[in-house]
Amino acid sequence: MATPAVRMFRRLEGLFCVYKPSGVHWKLVRDSVETNLLKGLNATPSLPGPQEVRFLAQPGTDTETPKKLTLTVASVPVLSKHPLVTGPEFQHIQVGVGHRLDAFSSGVLVLAVGNGNKALNDFCRIRTTRDYTLEGEFGTATDDFSHLGRVVERSTYDHVTQDKLNRVLAMLQGAHQKALLMFSNVDMHSQEAYEMAARGLLGPEGKSEPILTGMRCIRFQPPNFTLEVQCINETQKFLRKVVHEVGLELRSTAVCKGVRRTRDGPFTLQDALARHQWTAYDVMQAIKQYHSSKRKKKRSISQMKKTELEQPDKETTSFQQNETDEEAVATDSGLTSGRLASIMKLKSLHWLEHI
Amino acid sequence: MASLCVRLCSRHIRSGLQVSSYGTHSKASRPQEKSSSGPVFQYVGQHRKPSHKVFVWGFSFTGALGIPSFVVPDSGRKKPRKYQLTPYRLETAEQISSAACGYGFTLIASSTKDVSKLWGMGLNKDSQLGFQRTQHSRHQSYDYVLEPSPVALPLVEPLQTRVVQVSCGRAHSLVLTDKEGVFSMGNNAYGQCGRKIVDDEVACGQDHSLFLTETGKVFACGWGADGQTGLGHHSISSAPVELGGDLSGVEVQQVSTYGDCSLAVSRDGQLFGWGNSEYLQLASVTEATQLSSPRRVPLKGCGKVVQAACGGTQVAVINDKGEVFVWGYGILGKGPKLSESSAPEMIPPTLFGRTEFNPSVSVSRIRCGLNHFAAVTDRGELFVWGKNVRGCLGIGRKEDQYFPWRVTVPGQVVDVACGVDHMVALVKSLL
Repeated sequence: MATPAVRMFRRLEGLFCVYKPSGVHWKLVRDSVETNLLKGLNATPSLPGPQEVRFLAQPGTDTETPKKLTLTVASVPVLSKHPLVTGPEFQHIQVGVGHRLDAFSSGVLVLAVGNGNKALNDFCRIRTTRDYTLEGEFGTATDDFSHLGRVVERSTYDHVTQDKLNRVLAMLQGAHQKALLMFSNVDMHSQEAYEMAARGLLGPEGKSEPILTGMRCIRFQPPNFTLEVQCINETQKFLRKVVHEVGLELRSTAVCKGVRRTRDGPFTLQDALARHQWTAYDVMQAIKQYHSSKRKKKRSISQMKKTELEQPDKETTSFQQNETDEEAVATDSGLTSGRLASIMKLKSLHWLEHI
Repeated sequence: MASLCVRLCSRHIRSGLQVSSYGTHSKASRPQEKSSSGPVFQYVGQHRKPSHKVFVWGFSFTGALGIPSFVVPDSGRKKPRKYQLTPYRLETAEQISSAACGYGFTLIASSTKDVSKLWGMGLNKDSQLGFQRTQHSRHQSYDYVLEPSPVALPLVEPLQTRVVQVSCGRAHSLVLTDKEGVFSMGNNAYGQCGRKIVDDEVACGQDHSLFLTETGKVFACGWGADGQTGLGHHSISSAPVELGGDLSGVEVQQVSTYGDCSLAVSRDGQLFGWGNSEYLQLASVTEATQLSSPRRVPLKGCGKVVQAACGGTQVAVINDKGEVFVWGYGILGKGPKLSESSAPEMIPPTLFGRTEFNPSVSVSRIRCGLNHFAAVTDRGELFVWGKNVRGCLGIGRKEDQYFPWRVTVPGQVVDVACGVDHMVALVKSLL
């Protein structure tokens, strides 16, 4: 028989995202979320414990009849199942972390509870892109590329204009787009390579160098500037290095003042839970929302499949059919706008069906 | 503000720790030094203009790349470099404004008024680079020129005229000046043009030449066996004659030719073609293999044509939206399966760098070599595709490239010239 705590735990299983503040190690965030969930789970009113029938010795006049033992029947609670003896029902729950964020950065951090960890594994293996906002400042260069590091050099920046910055960003983007093609393990001489490149689907599978799939400047007020980047296989130190390299290309120097992840796969800043929302109740709401959005996606995919079957198109190969499915997945979940590997097309449906 | 050091490449080592109460080197103990200490470097001034450079790549043994150490190494330990597979910087005396690649030779020109404004390198067996006097004898000319050497033009006013454009064919070259008309050199030299035809553009085919005047008329001369002169006959023409056919009365804004097929783009976006059509270049107009008179080529779905480029067996045009259409025979750029097409096929713009972050990237210039294409986008990126003849694509490999591939060039590409087995790019630095 499931206790209320176990029922609540079943409702807590799934994926959700929190907003990790900067200056904090990701493990602390995970630990505090786990502690709060445990508090919530153990605070549920527990069922009354089992009772057993025991024959208790009656306190009578022992001195009078020492040989006779009178026993009375009583229903007493089982001491071995008493909560003070057994301890709280949940002492540890599995809370997993998706793509990690280092202590300097902030932003969306995906966590999974219980059975959701299996889906989290698939989520991490699928090649999704992540969006970041990088704050930069011209004028200094430090040893760890952030404004808290040791200053290595200072230089002028009054020659930098938005036009020059855009030219440098275009050049960097070009280099990264070429890297996308080079790291994909597809034979460049095949027709498949051309078709995937024309659709923008060529890219590295599994581990590779960090690659920026898109870069643009959204704010420019010298000495400060803000870049929005979309990347795969990245580390936050790499992104700070990108800001540093932008400064070098402009014949000046730049440091990164902040790295903020605004999107991780389908999880955006809107879905992220703030510090005061790291309670069991809010997490349950977030997971419920995640499950319902997944169901909506599945429904839309099956609808697209039905319309494909109703209008049989002889020229539609399985390749194209999967591509329409993945477009539906991509547009709905914002996984990426057209940068999914061929393996991902099949796995994405499998991932959705998992839980 | 701290003192300003104008120093280009030196590094000034900080003079020790300024404030350190504990004498330790950890980050925690050293307080954050604010901007009041240390020099501030200035690498670039406010009025810095971008510099112009020339990059070359391809087959080097003809000397067409202009780098003698590739053919004749400086030191005995080095080996000659036969193929330069990635762009290599060519140092030039002046800023180069126009370049052209022929069959094993190159001409580069600058728009200065100085005496030397035209340099040539590569094959010179037919004097395509003019007379290059040897060191040993006054009457002999070098057969191979390994370095950019000045080409002497018999100008009436050498210090007033500027070179506007150069063009190279198989064994001849044309030089267009702003005041003194067109000069031609090389095989089948068709006389010195001292005439005052006011020319706008010249184009060299394999063995024929096309001249485009300011008023939009096209003149042609040369070898006409495939009808590439467009004069209505298949014989040689030794003096430039105006073209008729569908081109009469039409104002042409650009002509292009490289092999035996020629194309012209009119000012209102129509495409006209004549010459060889064995490879389906003009198959939408005619079933014959040669057209000796210009005919209008109707292109479905292309829109207004802005630029056209003709290769040996393939043809490409750009429309006003910056989309590229290719047809003909060979590696057309849509994968290994598409090897010939008689109708224009558009190359998807995602291959030229159009993403959701940059939705407005478009191709601004298209050029054809004998067996390959080169496209320059409006952001200054160079894309090449086609047959990689002796490393002419510049992608670092010797294999053919079946769809547009970015060439890594340090800077923004302004213009590119394609030859048979080498290419020249005029590049502007980013800053």
